[in-house]
Amino acid sequence: MIRIENVSKVFNAGNVDEVSALKNVTLQIEAGSFVVIVGSNGSGKSTLLNLILGSFFSSSGKIFINENNITQLPGHERSKWISMVFQNPANGTAPDLSILENFRLAALRSSNKTMKIGIDNDFVELVREKIKKLDMGLEDKLNQPMGSLSGGQRQALTLLMGVMDKTDVLLMDEPTAALDPKSAQKIMELAKEINASLGITVVLITHSLKDALQYGDRLLMFKSGVIAKDINEAEKQKLTLNEMYEWFL
Amino acid sequence: MSQFYLTALQLALCLGPMAMGIFISMKVFNIPDITTDGSYTLGAAITAILISNNLPLYIVLPISMLSGAIAGTCTGFIHTKLKIDALLSGILIMTALYSINLLVMGRSNIPLINTLSIFDVISFFENAQLNQLLIAVLIVSILIYFIIYLLKTDFGLAMRATGNNPIMTKALGINNDRIKIIGLALANALTAVSGFLVAQYQGFADINMGIGVVITGLGSVLIADTLKKWFDIKKINGQIILVVFGCFVFQFVLAFTLSIGIDPNMLKMVTAVFVLLIVALPKISQRLVKK
Repeated sequence: MIRIENVSKVFNAGNVDEVSALKNVTLQIEAGSFVVIVGSNGSGKSTLLNLILGSFFSSSGKIFINENNITQLPGHERSKWISMVFQNPANGTAPDLSILENFRLAALRSSNKTMKIGIDNDFVELVREKIKKLDMGLEDKLNQPMGSLSGGQRQALTLLMGVMDKTDVLLMDEPTAALDPKSAQKIMELAKEINASLGITVVLITHSLKDALQYGDRLLMFKSGVIAKDINEAEKQKLTLNEMYEWFL
Repeated sequence: MSQFYLTALQLALCLGPMAMGIFISMKVFNIPDITTDGSYTLGAAITAILISNNLPLYIVLPISMLSGAIAGTCTGFIHTKLKIDALLSGILIMTALYSINLLVMGRSNIPLINTLSIFDVISFFENAQLNQLLIAVLIVSILIYFIIYLLKTDFGLAMRATGNNPIMTKALGINNDRIKIIGLALANALTAVSGFLVAQYQGFADINMGIGVVITGLGSVLIADTLKKWFDIKKINGQIILVVFGCFVFQFVLAFTLSIGIDPNMLKMVTAVFVLLIVALPKISQRLVKK
């Protein structure tokens, strides 16, 4: 569960270019839910995700995950609860490392990285089985550098890497923005499956209103740093694309 | 093989650990670390002073490595915790090390005459130079094995990924600052091993012996990088071996320069021009191909 209490974020405080990106946002996201966040550019949705991830700290307020106060916890220490899929597929993987090596690091997200060679036959088979389900033909290219793959392939692998180790929350910041429609659909279906089969809380930011309608059990709309609309699953089912477009006008 | 080239081979082996250190800082972590000039002399200075005081080599080597590691840690700390540019952090520590090295040595030059060096430990061949080569090969082989093993471990993967994509490593629970500090400590410990070897090979430690040595290491790494691209070598084993091979190429070019009668005073100029060529040639050839 994620709990956000009166969180604000001001960039460049005290300067002429001061920006108030989030204004006293309070929000509770239940464990196992799939929350979709929409909003115009600069509405504060990515700021919220980055505050949860620990890319930077809030100006005020508190953030909790499973009742642990993580407000001032460095980003790398939050990784035991949180996985992240970035907008840019290049951000989620190390391009010079092989697929296997990337997956090895992902499998150790909440553990110490020791002086042991962890890629053994069992691990190779485990990764092969997981990647095979993507049906992208990558299971036979495990030693290939991640940088040689397409954006869609890298994003799909990043999503799988996110659940290689136990995790409570999967944050996805416009994960399909740089992908072709086919790859984008694959990523969204995979996220849905992860949420349904593993019970992992998913928080998705998207600019695709179609995806926002199709996926998730709760819809939040951000406007000027506050939550303008909070739609539950029942209300969401009645929502139409046109109504959503009107929110943005 | 002429004496020139045998000496070049021996020197290349002695400088191999430093080149591996520069590979770690520059290629693994993407950090241009020029602490090397200071930590190389520091390794030599500590070695000379301890050997002069008749300390056994099995104590001298770890102390020498530790001194290099401390220098690297200082650079890493300044860079990561004080958020100072990596280049400037290295310059600051390199400058400070000049005074520290003078302090350690007590004077600007310490000769190692009538002292037992690591190159005297084995007398497998009748020819002393071959024995020296064997020792150097053994030490460098052990270090190559260690570095390759390390970079394949889970910790080594975290090191490589940190230089490759720090955004990802942070999200995967890796403390980027800490791992960079450890990496720079390791890189400079390896550099100190080169100082340890060269001081004993030359038979002295000198306060100025480290000046420009970073260019030698950098040149070796760049040669390795070029060869890596030519032969499409992706595995880390091959890349580390190529770095040491780059050291051979570099020293052989210098030996060739001397053998054709170029003024030894011009050696640093030749070194700089050679490194410039290594860096510039691939770009020039790319442009020519495009035309």
